Amino acid sequence: MKQLKRLKNMLLGEEKQKETDEQVQQSESEIETKSKETVTPKSEIENRETDPKQEQNESKEAEQGLEPASPKLIKEEPKEAEEKVLKVPKKVEEKPKTTRSDSMTLLEGRDAETITRAEIDVNFKQAVIDAGAETLSLCFQCGTCTGACPSGRRTPYRVRTVIRRALMGFKDDLISDDSLWMCSTCYECQERCPRGIKIVDIVKIARNYAAQAGYMAKAHKMTGSYVIKTGHGVPINDATKALRKRVGLNELPPTTHEFPEALEEVRTILKATKFDNLIGYNWETGELE
Amino acid sequence: MAFAYFLGCIMNNRYPGIEKATRIMMENLDIELKDMEGASCCPAPGVFGSFDLTTWAAVAARNITIAEDMGADVMTECNGCFGTLFETNHLLREDEEQKEKINKILAEAGREFKGEVNVRHFAEILYNDVGIAKLSEKVTNPLNLNVAVHYGCHFLKPSAEINIDNALKPTILDELVEATGAKSIPYKDKLMCCGAGGGLRSRDLDVTLDYTKEKLDNMTDAGVDAIVNVCPFCHLQFDVGQTEVNKKYGTNFGIPVFHLAQLYGLSMGLKPEDLTVDAHQVCVDSALEKCSLEDIENLDKITGGE
Ligand code: SF4
Ligand code: SF4
Repeated sequence: MKQLKRLKNMLLGEEKQKETDEQVQQSESEIETKSKETVTPKSEIENRETDPKQEQNESKEAEQGLEPASPKLIKEEPKEAEEKVLKVPKKVEEKPKTTRSDSMTLLEGRDAETITRAEIDVNFKQAVIDAGAETLSLCFQCGTCTGACPSGRRTPYRVRTVIRRALMGFKDDLISDDSLWMCSTCYECQERCPRGIKIVDIVKIARNYAAQAGYMAKAHKMTGSYVIKTGHGVPINDATKALRKRVGLNELPPTTHEFPEALEEVRTILKATKFDNLIGYNWETGELE
Repeated sequence: MAFAYFLGCIMNNRYPGIEKATRIMMENLDIELKDMEGASCCPAPGVFGSFDLTTWAAVAARNITIAEDMGADVMTECNGCFGTLFETNHLLREDEEQKEKINKILAEAGREFKGEVNVRHFAEILYNDVGIAKLSEKVTNPLNLNVAVHYGCHFLKPSAEINIDNALKPTILDELVEATGAKSIPYKDKLMCCGAGGGLRSRDLDVTLDYTKEKLDNMTDAGVDAIVNVCPFCHLQFDVGQTEVNKKYGTNFGIPVFHLAQLYGLSMGLKPEDLTVDAHQVCVDSALEKCSLEDIENLDKITGGE
């Protein structure tokens, strides 16, 4: 009897789940049409390019529970949609908290950090796929990648969540996450992924978006600027020149170091792809802005 | 046999002994190395690929066109350069759309990627084109060393595209190392990354050093005399990084580091100072003494790492 009851509960539960799923799906398509009218990823990127700092300030304000001074059009619409359809999870939130969880400081302020559907960029998944990660949709969240990851063993970086967030379209959450840069691109995850997903490519694509949005470390911009200046990420120095001479090699290697016209070619390419703008390189001063 | 010799950055601009050893060794093996005049940074797969994949592929493709003009396959002895050039070559050969996009950019610099050459790794050329038998014949000073082989990440992986050896259980480097008379010692998590790649070293040195320390601990437990690598960036990480680990953790690691080309140089009787091993941050004398090579004059340690 007990088993029967459990079975019945399960079935009922499943049906409820189905309903919710349908609702959610409906809502997804609603959001999709709505945000298609309002957002294109390009315009979003342009917004960022113009002022990434403002963006950061805004999110900081949001963390403190303040409304940003000029809330963006893009985000308003889906918020309405979310309230309409996401009644189920809301109910869960209303449950009174136990005293135990109240006393857990780690949980304090978590509500403000909860990600909602409003933050979904419905175009992001496709954008990542179009950028060369056709395999993205195959992920079934088994976690093998994180289990293999040497970075995850010592940092808060969890590669499985990178894939999930790319799939879900949690673009802002993903690209503003510092831990995204903790991957050493060692391919241990990719070698073991049972779905053959090109995980490292997805990490790099996410980082490309992060870089465009202004989340690029100074040290990385410096490496970029060395290539603009010399053609080399690690340019020669006096000590190595002396060492090269000592062993009978030319002081300068036969690279862009020796051939200035070759360096010009490299610079032409870096200008054509707007890499100079990306890192904020000032051609006149040779410095980063 | 002739190859377009791609230098990259760290080897030629920090550890020229690796380049010197390679040039002499290849001459010894009747393989001609032609300079790729005007080549640039590959650019680094983790760092540049993370900034902008289009820029990364365009600069890499330009480097490949230099080899195409020379009509020779590319040889590199850096895992990072290999990763970048191999992947770009593979991508642009497979994907017409990408090729067109990149060629539009290259056209501004008066170049065109055609997809006519292959990108090869030095160690793989030694193994497949020269062969262990011929290499063993050239060894005049068999090395009495217990070695921790470090494969690095961008040599065999991603194995779906790079088909050199089983990426989870490789033997290629162990066999190459043992051809010099040295012994490859198994150690825990041997295939783990050194920690330098992906822009991690420049962005968060603490995380990088934590990786490196784990590797050094495991190598030390196995009781090795030296570390052998096939990537100047891993080389730098084990050399410069080892001193940084010692500083940060108060440890006392002192395991000599050799690139495979330097190891072969020693086994073929080159003088240690021609391999610039005297300029390494971690003193290599213990390894040289064990190989009963003359102790070398202790010159200033001048190789810096960035
Ligand atoms: S190993 Fe592959 S399928 Fe599993 S969670 Fe990671 S990316 Fe997804
Ligand atoms: S490539 Fe990056 S995400 Fe994958 S295992 Fe290595 S460090 Fe982790």
